[in-house]
Amino acid sequence: MNDAFAQLAMLGSSLVLITSFLLLWRRGTPAHVSALAIQSIALGATAGLVGYFADKHELYLVAVLLIALKGVGIPVLLHRMARRLGPARHVPPYVNTATSLLAGALLVLLAYVVMRPLVEASPLPTRAGMPLAMGVVFVSLFVIVSRRHALAQVIGFLMLENGIALLAVLGTYGIPLIVEIGVFLDAMMGFLVMQIVVYHIHQTFQSLDVEQLNRLRR
Amino acid sequence: MTAASGHVLAAAQALLCLAVAPGLIGLIRWLKARMQNRRGSPVWQPYLDLRKLLAKETVVSVNASWLFRLAPYVVFTSTAAVTFLLPVLAVPLPLDPVGDLLVVVYLLLLGTFFLALAGLDPGSAFGGMGASREMTVAALAEPSIAVAMFALALGAGSTNLGEIVARAMARPADAVSPGYLLAFTALFIVTLAETGRLPVDNPATHLELTMIHEAMVLEYSGRYLALIEWAAALKLLVFFTLLANLFVPWGVATTLGPGALLLAAVTYVAKLAVLAAAVAVFETRVAKLRLFRVPELLSVSFVLALLAITASFLSR
Repeated sequence: MNDAFAQLAMLGSSLVLITSFLLLWRRGTPAHVSALAIQSIALGATAGLVGYFADKHELYLVAVLLIALKGVGIPVLLHRMARRLGPARHVPPYVNTATSLLAGALLVLLAYVVMRPLVEASPLPTRAGMPLAMGVVFVSLFVIVSRRHALAQVIGFLMLENGIALLAVLGTYGIPLIVEIGVFLDAMMGFLVMQIVVYHIHQTFQSLDVEQLNRLRR
Repeated sequence: MTAASGHVLAAAQALLCLAVAPGLIGLIRWLKARMQNRRGSPVWQPYLDLRKLLAKETVVSVNASWLFRLAPYVVFTSTAAVTFLLPVLAVPLPLDPVGDLLVVVYLLLLGTFFLALAGLDPGSAFGGMGASREMTVAALAEPSIAVAMFALALGAGSTNLGEIVARAMARPADAVSPGYLLAFTALFIVTLAETGRLPVDNPATHLELTMIHEAMVLEYSGRYLALIEWAAALKLLVFFTLLANLFVPWGVATTLGPGALLLAAVTYVAKLAVLAAAVAVFETRVAKLRLFRVPELLSVSFVLALLAITASFLSR
């Protein structure tokens, strides 16, 4: 029973990690948005799984919220936004794709190193997935600093949030529901603010390349 | 298992591979044609092609050296030798002490190397281009194969293919462990790259500036071409066998009874058909990648393999 639980939790967290690599590999906003949608659904499924095996029924609610909000809601909004902004020119990232993939792999190894003491101290069967969750956090941070496209940065931020949620689910079987909902609202607010900023960037520069913001200094 | 019956088995499975390989190519082509609303040539068409090519006269460029004539035999025999070492029908393998997965990988690479040399040899423009691209792809694919296979070997504690299969059969839950899934995906991408399938090379084309495999073999004709085509089919079969039997070993016989062997043969063919269908669907869905994006695809595969080995190293 515990074996199957550990195995499935590990599988879920691997899926979440793989989708963050999709963000590094694929080009174009639609591909990035679907990576986010898949990741949030995988995260929701993992949360539901932990809820089932660990008998934490409020995690079901978290799972449903995750899937509805970040698996469906935000991706639909992002798709609509990408459509309204029109087919953008390809904005090359600061770091090329092959190098960023390798950097991502190294970041995951770093996450294993960083999380080692925590994994050893944890008694939970889900502990093996914690380095992967930390890996998602690192890879998303890397996306935020290495991408020039504003929407890619927004998606990186949302994935960062997913990574933290996964870490909470695996490491402590989820934080109290009220805190979770607060975090959701924060993320939602953050997303709405970013949406407005993205519109403004697009209106001012006719491009989503954040490099253009440097022109504001002159 | 006595030594004699083991060697008979090894020979039998090698013959089976040789016989099935062209059919596998035919099946993929037929499935693809059906999915693209074409009627397609029958599944046994590659056998007819091979017979036709074997009967035809060979034309060799005046600039070609002995290497050009030798290469098809090296390519074919090195690939055929691999089939003796694969866990096709039953484990443990009688030839396990002779060669492990490193031997398999490097025998395949030997064939690739000679094919690239033969592409360069007659001095035609296409041959040189194809050889250079093939070497680029091989150099990038090689580390992912090695790392993905080591992820499996690490789990089994041995680099012997038979040993890995036996271990995977003993612990069926491992088949869904992240290490296995990541390694499977990595090896699947490498399979597409190494056997010249769609996102990397277009197997249906014969004259296109971006071709890789076809560019190298453009100078070949007659029985040389037959050997190379057969070897290419065999290479695809070898990769499919690795994917099918290392990761999903159910059905592989552990005894040499006729019932167990028959079941193993049936499940083996079924697994090949499933993989063929997967490749056909995939090739219908995706377009060919630009040549400069191929390294990105292969670094995805390498990253997956690296994560696989990390996962299996830490969950040992």
